[in-house]
Amino acid sequence: MKYATTVGDKTYTIEINDDHHLVIDSGEGQPPRTYTFDLGSASGQTLYSLLIDNQSFEAFVNAVEDSADEVQVLLRGHLYDVKVVDERAARLAKSAGGAAAVTGDFNLKAPMPGIVVAVPVNEGQEIKKGDILVILESMKMQNELKSPRDGRVARVKTKPGDNVEQNQALVTVAA
Amino acid sequence: MSNVNKVLIANRGEIAVRIIRACRELGLATVAVFSEADRDALHVHGADEAYLIGPAPSRESYLRIDKILDVAKRSGADAIHPGYGFLAEREEFAAACAGAGLTFIGPPPEAIAAMGDKVVARSTVKRAGVPVVPGTESDSRLTDEEILSLAPSIGFPVLVKAAAGGGGKGMREVHSPEDLPAALAAARREAEASFGDGNVYLEKLVLGARHIEIQILADTQGNIIHLGERECSLQRRHQKVLEESPSPFVADDEDLRQHMGAVACRAAAAVNYVNAGTIEFLVDKEKNFYFLEMNTRLQVEHPVTELVTGMDIVKEQIRIARGRKLSREQGEIKMNGWAIECRINAEDPYNNFLPSTGKVTASILPAGPGVRVDTCVYSGYTISRFYDSLLSKVICYGESRGEVILRMRRALEEYKIVGIKTNIPLHQNLLDSHRFMAGNFDTRFLEERFNMSEAEAPHSEIAAILATLVAHRRGQQAAQIVQRGERDTSNWKWVGRYERMHR
Repeated sequence: MKYATTVGDKTYTIEINDDHHLVIDSGEGQPPRTYTFDLGSASGQTLYSLLIDNQSFEAFVNAVEDSADEVQVLLRGHLYDVKVVDERAARLAKSAGGAAAVTGDFNLKAPMPGIVVAVPVNEGQEIKKGDILVILESMKMQNELKSPRDGRVARVKTKPGDNVEQNQALVTVAA
Repeated sequence: MSNVNKVLIANRGEIAVRIIRACRELGLATVAVFSEADRDALHVHGADEAYLIGPAPSRESYLRIDKILDVAKRSGADAIHPGYGFLAEREEFAAACAGAGLTFIGPPPEAIAAMGDKVVARSTVKRAGVPVVPGTESDSRLTDEEILSLAPSIGFPVLVKAAAGGGGKGMREVHSPEDLPAALAAARREAEASFGDGNVYLEKLVLGARHIEIQILADTQGNIIHLGERECSLQRRHQKVLEESPSPFVADDEDLRQHMGAVACRAAAAVNYVNAGTIEFLVDKEKNFYFLEMNTRLQVEHPVTELVTGMDIVKEQIRIARGRKLSREQGEIKMNGWAIECRINAEDPYNNFLPSTGKVTASILPAGPGVRVDTCVYSGYTISRFYDSLLSKVICYGESRGEVILRMRRALEEYKIVGIKTNIPLHQNLLDSHRFMAGNFDTRFLEERFNMSEAEAPHSEIAAILATLVAHRRGQQAAQIVQRGERDTSNWKWVGRYERMHR
């Protein structure tokens, strides 16, 4: 299987031939290199151990919510946002006419259980990216939950004083 | 001499565990109290006895003086250690313990009260010759008009602070006279909401200041000693993040250390202080220092002082509570080597420090030479939203600051907490920053001038490989599930055909 993997502004082509060998092309004109690898993880955990040509690395690999191909790798004190697209999917996306534009509604969900302290927006209000939608208190701290984009507040499904569970829908922002 | 044979710990989390350890070493029996959310907490497992005191919210459990005193009576405890937070700095709790015939392992209620109101504390220590940050000097409640007329003599910028304050609540920075009325109104509102007391005062804003504190110990026989300083300038939202002892700013300036120490002892004596306490100072670039406030309890960051002085502060607290003389005199206190503490919180440093709750599926602690971990977390423990986000404290000790920075880096790389997000990467980036290594930072550094994303990320290729291998493996597993399903159905068909063939 062949993958196009992007970290920051760099895209690597990585081909996994069998359970222990991969070929990586960093796309900088250098010849592709072949590595021997061994990937281990504690029973379904997000902590992985990688031996690559006998170099040992330990890292957390977490899927990004609501995304099929983005993962976050926490390695030696640095967080890497990585996008992994397998070649077939990449070809399909290309023939379908490139990436779809960002459309649809943004649903703000509670990132953790807590108590709603304030909802400083009203239904129908125009908002800018970064505006505070909800202030949620959890673990004795007040947390500002902000809008990731410009839009209009379509629905407010919570009010101050509400006890909310994790992933409960709070506010919907329409584009 | 007071009897202390059985100690009730009126707290939870890592500090309850820390106190139980001291009691164990002294051969004292321990009594834990816990809320409905804490049945599986480490302090409940570790104590000799444990009593349920109510529902998860603190005000219905850990803040209920009546329930805690009831447990003391039922269990036959003769002493209470309040830890930090919760009831530790409530004079009515210290008084209620005394009223119930229990030894309170902490200061007398009068000392807690005298230091609890910041305005009263300022004028009390000032009378004892302790320097305070210039500001409005009055014990009485000032009106807005009085404050506005006094402000020009202090000079801008100023800080508006709440008399009952703490944790940055009711605090406002003001750079020009015209902004002052609005700031006063806002600070009073916030102070009223947070502490039920809208009294505020002004302090000159010290620019480029460091936050350096002195640990003191005082016994009932009038002896007061100090255990040197702790550097606490690295803060976020007025919460300390990383502390060290000695302070790189004081370093080998023994005169400054002894001068600050002597002034701290004087401040404690001014309120007839007994037991362990901490005097917080603001120190400016010219090494002028000013009294900020006194914490009348054990501090979160006490271990760094323990490591460089070799004294067990919690055991010393119990010794003092028993009415005995301090185990050492001032001349016997020597600071050796260097210690750093990193506070590990359940929060996501890559997402605005949002608190992280949930089950810790694995916890691999750092160990080896010079590493101490005070924690309440184990594999399988669930982080609840009801209490603060401190998971553990990693404390490292070394001969020099350089050695301990390298040791802490090593320890944090070993530390693996799976299942929740932690601020370990923040500490790793901080330890890698040149400003930190040079000891060149003030109280604003972490929040205003430190940026995690600026640090260089050297392992992009390895990250790409890891992400790809994990995605590949997930893809394969998904494919296998489908394949196994297909074979399962065909197995029945296959059996059917086999049976028919052999009929």
